[in-house]
Amino acid sequence: MKKLFIALSLSLLVAQSGHAAGGAIDVPKGEWSFVGPKAHWDTMEILRGYEVATQVCLACHGFKYFSHRNLTEIGLTEEQTKALAAKMDMDVNAKLLSGLTEEDGKDAYGLVVPDLSVMAKARPNGVDYLKALLLGYEDAPEGFDVGNGHYNKYFPGHIIAMPNPLSDDIITYMDGTPATVEQMAHDVSAFIAFTSEPELVKRQNLGIYVLIYLLIFTALTYALKNAIWRDIKKKS
Amino acid sequence: MNKYTQWFDERLPIFSFMDKQLANKPTPKNLNYMWNFGSLAGVCLMLQIITGIFLAMHYKADVNLAFDSVQHIMRNVEWGWLIRNMHMVGASFFFIVVYIHIFRGLYYGSYKSPREVLWWMGIIILFLMMATAFIGYVLPWGQMSYWGATVITNLLSVIPFVGESIVVWLWGGYNVGDPTLNRFFALHYLLPFVIVGVVFLHLWALWTSKSNNPVGIDLKKQTDWIPFHPYYTIKDMFGLGVFLIPFTFMVFFLPDYLGHTDNYIPADPLKTPAHIVPEWYFLPFYAILRAIPHKLLGVVAMVASIAILFVLPWLDRSKVRSANFRPIYRQMFWIFLVNVFVLGWVGAKPPEGHYVIIGQVSTTLYFLFFLSLPWVSKFEKTKPLPTSL
Repeated sequence: MKKLFIALSLSLLVAQSGHAAGGAIDVPKGEWSFVGPKAHWDTMEILRGYEVATQVCLACHGFKYFSHRNLTEIGLTEEQTKALAAKMDMDVNAKLLSGLTEEDGKDAYGLVVPDLSVMAKARPNGVDYLKALLLGYEDAPEGFDVGNGHYNKYFPGHIIAMPNPLSDDIITYMDGTPATVEQMAHDVSAFIAFTSEPELVKRQNLGIYVLIYLLIFTALTYALKNAIWRDIKKKS
Repeated sequence: MNKYTQWFDERLPIFSFMDKQLANKPTPKNLNYMWNFGSLAGVCLMLQIITGIFLAMHYKADVNLAFDSVQHIMRNVEWGWLIRNMHMVGASFFFIVVYIHIFRGLYYGSYKSPREVLWWMGIIILFLMMATAFIGYVLPWGQMSYWGATVITNLLSVIPFVGESIVVWLWGGYNVGDPTLNRFFALHYLLPFVIVGVVFLHLWALWTSKSNNPVGIDLKKQTDWIPFHPYYTIKDMFGLGVFLIPFTFMVFFLPDYLGHTDNYIPADPLKTPAHIVPEWYFLPFYAILRAIPHKLLGVVAMVASIAILFVLPWLDRSKVRSANFRPIYRQMFWIFLVNVFVLGWVGAKPPEGHYVIIGQVSTTLYFLFFLSLPWVSKFEKTKPLPTSL
């Protein structure tokens, strides 16, 4: 009976994944430095993503939960974060907001342009979806009417209001990396993963130690339990 | 007891109470690991209350601030992300534990005489937990919060004559809005303490009628009983460790896995999500609600699916408690359990095509379990019971 309960609880967790991702289109799974047993932020990758975000996305999208100060989390010094903020004429604590007002956004695209700072948590498949979306612009299949929108093979319903924002060399990376669409899509998705969950890396790294602690704790209590119960077991 | 504790105990007998009801409480010596889930549920409740109090210190119950304040907790509050993840994952694990606890009671006949009132208190706790969890899910004020609240509170409008007025009264307006969020926060803080109260009654009834056991017989021999401490304190500690491992794994590695991504989109009354789904622990009941094409009857069936547990001790007329000695009931139990999972699965699917049929068959099976019990328990040939362990 016990085993069955465990099996059923697990199957419940598995069933849930189907429920959470229900209706979503399958997207290619990427390799990310911030997921897995050796999770870390790739400083240069996040910084390149920051460049794409501030030079491309920010034209329309805000990042209201992000301020330059947060970049200390990926290994920048406070001086460096201040220098980056100063380059944009911003205070290091100011929210990164778009110049596009809600009204202008509505006029141009027919909807409120979403803030991107928790976007990696707000869509099924998170960071993989963001990257796939940025690489998913294609010509619409014959006879598929996109109206005022644009065709994207990963967007639910395939009609997205946002025009393809990236093209090769639309920006120049400070570190000299060639700014291909693929590279920029990857970097900016990583950046959004960072702004969505600044605690992501810390959380996973700490989790390993907590689990090790609990495994030892549980093994010890098991041994203690057997020792205490020995006389009862013997009698019966 | 030293003379100071003795002096205190003569005036307020906390220490002798603890000694009698906790430490030296006679407990059946044959309880298996299924009996760990009661104390685990207590741990879960405490965990939710403690993490919840800290969250409440930083949360803002205002439609314009709620979503931001949750992000503030995740980003700026010291260890805020950990506390919130524990609260979020804790809610799911609380339900897993409580559901296992209830199914254990069903299997071993823990609802039968003399434990009917103990069983009732448990059902009341389940209802209160569901209300608390539902209200709590509204607080982050994401898309699923808003639309879930709208769909579920609207169910009350089916009550004849007064339904519409009740919904308006509950909302504090003509739609789910700021007054709703504000009172939901107040209730979400209040209800856990009501649960603590009913848990105490649950325990009081337990202390009165004593634990059931896997064999399900009344234990008369002195040697069938052992003191709760140290035997079950250490066993519960070990069980807690086993529980905390998957719990911790979810908190640190997959905190959002059991939630819905739409709830990271701020609530928007003008934009309905493609699928409105409740949290996983409501899915079986949601499936029952949707299985019945008539709105009022659907709501009645959903409430009845839990409320029927109140009369279970009288539906099941068998004198034998443990399903180990009841060949037919035992089969029925397993079918019932699998059927609840089927209902949960259907509840997560859109109500169309063959899901509708499966949902209706499963709903029928669900109620058939209870309604057939009076006959089954009458004709079932039970196996002979031992007289002691």
